[in-house]
Amino acid sequence: MSSIAPPVGQGGGAAWRTRDILVTAVIGAAFGVFMAALNAVYAGLGAGAGSPWLLVYLGWLLPAVLAPVIVRKPGAGLFAELVAASVSVLVVSQWGPDALVSGFLQGIGAEAVFAAFRYRRFGLPVVALAGAASAALAFVHDTVLYYQGVAPELLALTFLFMVVSAAVLMPLVAFAIVRGLREAGVLRGFPG
Amino acid sequence: MRGAVVERGAVVEPGAVVARGLGFTHAGSAEAALRDVDLEVAPGECLLVLGPSGSGKSTFVLALAELLGRDVAGRLDGTLEVGGPVGVVFQDSGTQLVMERVEDDVAFGLENRAWTRGEMQARVPQVLAEAGLDGLGRERTATLSGGQQQRLALAGALAPRPRLLVLDEPTANLDVDGARAFVDRLAALHAAGTTIVLIEHRVELAWRLADRVLVLGRDGRPVDLGPPAHVVRRSGRALLDAGVWLPADVDAALGVASRAARPPAVIGEPLAVGHGIGFGYRRRVPVVRDVDVSVAAGDRLTIVGPNGSGKSTLGRLLVGLLRPDAGTVRLMGDAPHRLRSDQLARRAAYLFQDPEQQFLATTVAAEAGLGLRDDELARLPELMDALALPLGRFGARSPYALSGGEQRRLSLAGILARSPRLLVLDEPTFGQDRATYQGLLAILGARLDDGVGLVAITHDERLVADLGGRSAVMSGGRLVGGTMAGAPTTGGTAATGGSATGGSATGGAA
Amino acid sequence: MILLPELDARQLTSPLGRASPLTKLAVGFAWLAALVATTDPRQTLVILGAGIAGAIGLGRVPVRRFLRAWLPFVAAAAGIAAVNTILGAANRDPAARELLGLGPLRITEPALAVGVVLGLRILAIAGIGIAFAQTTEATTLADALVQQARLPDRFAYGALAAYQAVPRLSLDLGTLVQARRVRGMGRGWSPRLLLALLVLALRHADRMALAMDARGFAATGRTRYRIVRWSAVDAAVALGGLLVLAATVALR
Repeated sequence: MSSIAPPVGQGGGAAWRTRDILVTAVIGAAFGVFMAALNAVYAGLGAGAGSPWLLVYLGWLLPAVLAPVIVRKPGAGLFAELVAASVSVLVVSQWGPDALVSGFLQGIGAEAVFAAFRYRRFGLPVVALAGAASAALAFVHDTVLYYQGVAPELLALTFLFMVVSAAVLMPLVAFAIVRGLREAGVLRGFPG
Repeated sequence: MRGAVVERGAVVEPGAVVARGLGFTHAGSAEAALRDVDLEVAPGECLLVLGPSGSGKSTFVLALAELLGRDVAGRLDGTLEVGGPVGVVFQDSGTQLVMERVEDDVAFGLENRAWTRGEMQARVPQVLAEAGLDGLGRERTATLSGGQQQRLALAGALAPRPRLLVLDEPTANLDVDGARAFVDRLAALHAAGTTIVLIEHRVELAWRLADRVLVLGRDGRPVDLGPPAHVVRRSGRALLDAGVWLPADVDAALGVASRAARPPAVIGEPLAVGHGIGFGYRRRVPVVRDVDVSVAAGDRLTIVGPNGSGKSTLGRLLVGLLRPDAGTVRLMGDAPHRLRSDQLARRAAYLFQDPEQQFLATTVAAEAGLGLRDDELARLPELMDALALPLGRFGARSPYALSGGEQRRLSLAGILARSPRLLVLDEPTFGQDRATYQGLLAILGARLDDGVGLVAITHDERLVADLGGRSAVMSGGRLVGGTMAGAPTTGGTAATGGSATGGSATGGAA
Repeated sequence: MILLPELDARQLTSPLGRASPLTKLAVGFAWLAALVATTDPRQTLVILGAGIAGAIGLGRVPVRRFLRAWLPFVAAAAGIAAVNTILGAANRDPAARELLGLGPLRITEPALAVGVVLGLRILAIAGIGIAFAQTTEATTLADALVQQARLPDRFAYGALAAYQAVPRLSLDLGTLVQARRVRGMGRGWSPRLLLALLVLALRHADRMALAMDARGFAATGRTRYRIVRWSAVDAAVALGGLLVLAATVALR
């Protein structure tokens, strides 16, 4: 039994290496930790306290675009979101099965966009679209579950606001993070 | 011919290793980490791999474990043949334990290798017993002590009955007793015929275990290979120049200057004073109990004790990273936890054990210059030169890509740039080769001469002896030996917690 | 500092503890769907009650632990109720009975009714969540996903390994916050913290992947040390779940 060590392990193709799996899962776990800590800090402010609320909202959506941009494998966004949701379910006892539904929808929204581009395009317009799709599904979920009684005009307005913010902010933040990670040298052996 | 072939068992005896011209270059690196390694390891042999930081020792171990090129991006040169399955133990047990419960973690490697359930159920308790973890099968891995976790990592590596065991600094995170117990286990395995390839900085423990020693130089090329006594005879000078740690008797044989006592320090005004300090992370679980401490300018205090004795926590209390539940702490007159961050930074500095855990920027220049005032920034290039990290060469690199020694110096740069009066260092010599260690001593010595007060929290008896000053022993959150508060002494003896592993100089000048 | 939860033997050997996590998830999702489909307080209360009874009765979760986990959701429930009441659709309807009028702001009875139900819904969802989290171990969840739902091993156990890293990541975050403070960067939170944490997290992931592959993880055809089987308890829990659903339907 022999194995040939490939000249360079660049991680192209659709097959997931162990490293791809761990990096994606750990991104999800790290966001789970960071968001839980942020929650604890802003707990006192409650719902609708302005800018922290938007950051928290978008924070939960970041793994869905960040993981695919780094790892570039099908299913990365969904996997990362599900791990983040699982951390919140099991560790912080937040929301239970509903967190998994949220995570699933957030992940699948972004995933659908990356899939539509055959997992070959990971530039700004694709990420903006993926972020918007993720935010849209997240918003629909939250409306159906928590904000069923709110006036439709307000919901529509907020929906528009959230989707546009996500389309603008998500690529900004995601690429800033990727730039920082690349500079720190931790993205060696990943495509792009 | 480019590319390498790693064969298993076909050509080579189980437990043996044959390397010809082995080399590896990491992706994105201009220079090879490892080059021109030619050696044969016989079954049942113990090979100790030595070398300064950055010499490719870890790369060699990863090659033996067949992980290069696949998990680690880069180019492999030459050939390597390894006989039979390999077990690997890394230094950080936290990253090796992947399951919640002890027995599940041991079984993990067996599941991967398609053992039947019956075979696994027989083997797991056996391996746990051999590793001294009898009856702990259902325990959660997170509740084990550091020493137990490393033994669990060893058990996991041994479960599939590998013929070759490779270990990369397995005792780095353990205290003295834990390290000794671990090396004793290795000795037993060696006696039973397992081939062992070991990287270990604690040469006092590993030296007597080694049949042969492989020394790698800074450029990743082998400097020498052979039985320990021969290597010392042939390449003793080269070893010292390379900054490799050697056991004390070898040092003495090579004529290394034994420690000169530090000149008496000039003790100035008190910098940090604490009375009756008590603290617990959770209620009713005190980690520090009723401790008095004082440190003055020019003073040196080393705090020793086993893991979990509360030393690091005390260090954090002194610089206001934690607020005491009981008692008082005063840093130059004020309660440190109440100080504003920028005021705190100019009075005291805290150096974390793992430099990576305190990096906040992605380039060396940004990291060293974080939050500095203009006048401090102006002095930075000079400071960086003094720390052998000239900004011209290192400025744009990533702090995480530096070698261990360079990372340690960078973390020092960040805190020294503000000229704090009190330095609290948590395991400052962790995992360092001799060259880095001596460099660090020189930097600290210079600061002490400038009137800085120093608190070093450490397991390293060598550091305790080299720093001199007062030494205090903590255990269970309390002071159990030495002098923490009261009149600072100059020179003096080091009262250490665990039994010393030897290696302390008998005094006298070189 | 986040630590992984330690479930008592009581909870693990309880009926819910012995049921497959998939059964619990299925019941949880079904009840979630039922909650979403109604704005009737009685139906919501049935599920709310069933969740609490399930956790404390079938799951043997200690009452104090349940309440402590539930408490944060009371605030969230109040917040949601308030938002739905103040911004309620019914407030625009001139025919709705007004309860409070302050200039442009108008709070009507139907809006309040919906707000209250949604608040109760949050509490019910929380109850279900606690019942699940307090009776399910991560390892068992991974095993069930692999053996019963046929998900790929490598993803499930890769996720489990990342989950083990959570306390370590939490500690790293704490150390980064302290490092910022002691280097004069302030006490507060900063986006830089997220980046630094991700760097550490990725380096951690690299080392974990290395360690796992060193133990043969990349190979195919893994065997099983722990077996998860469907049993009578699963049938009982599923049946219980259906009965509760039937009760809510009956209340229509």
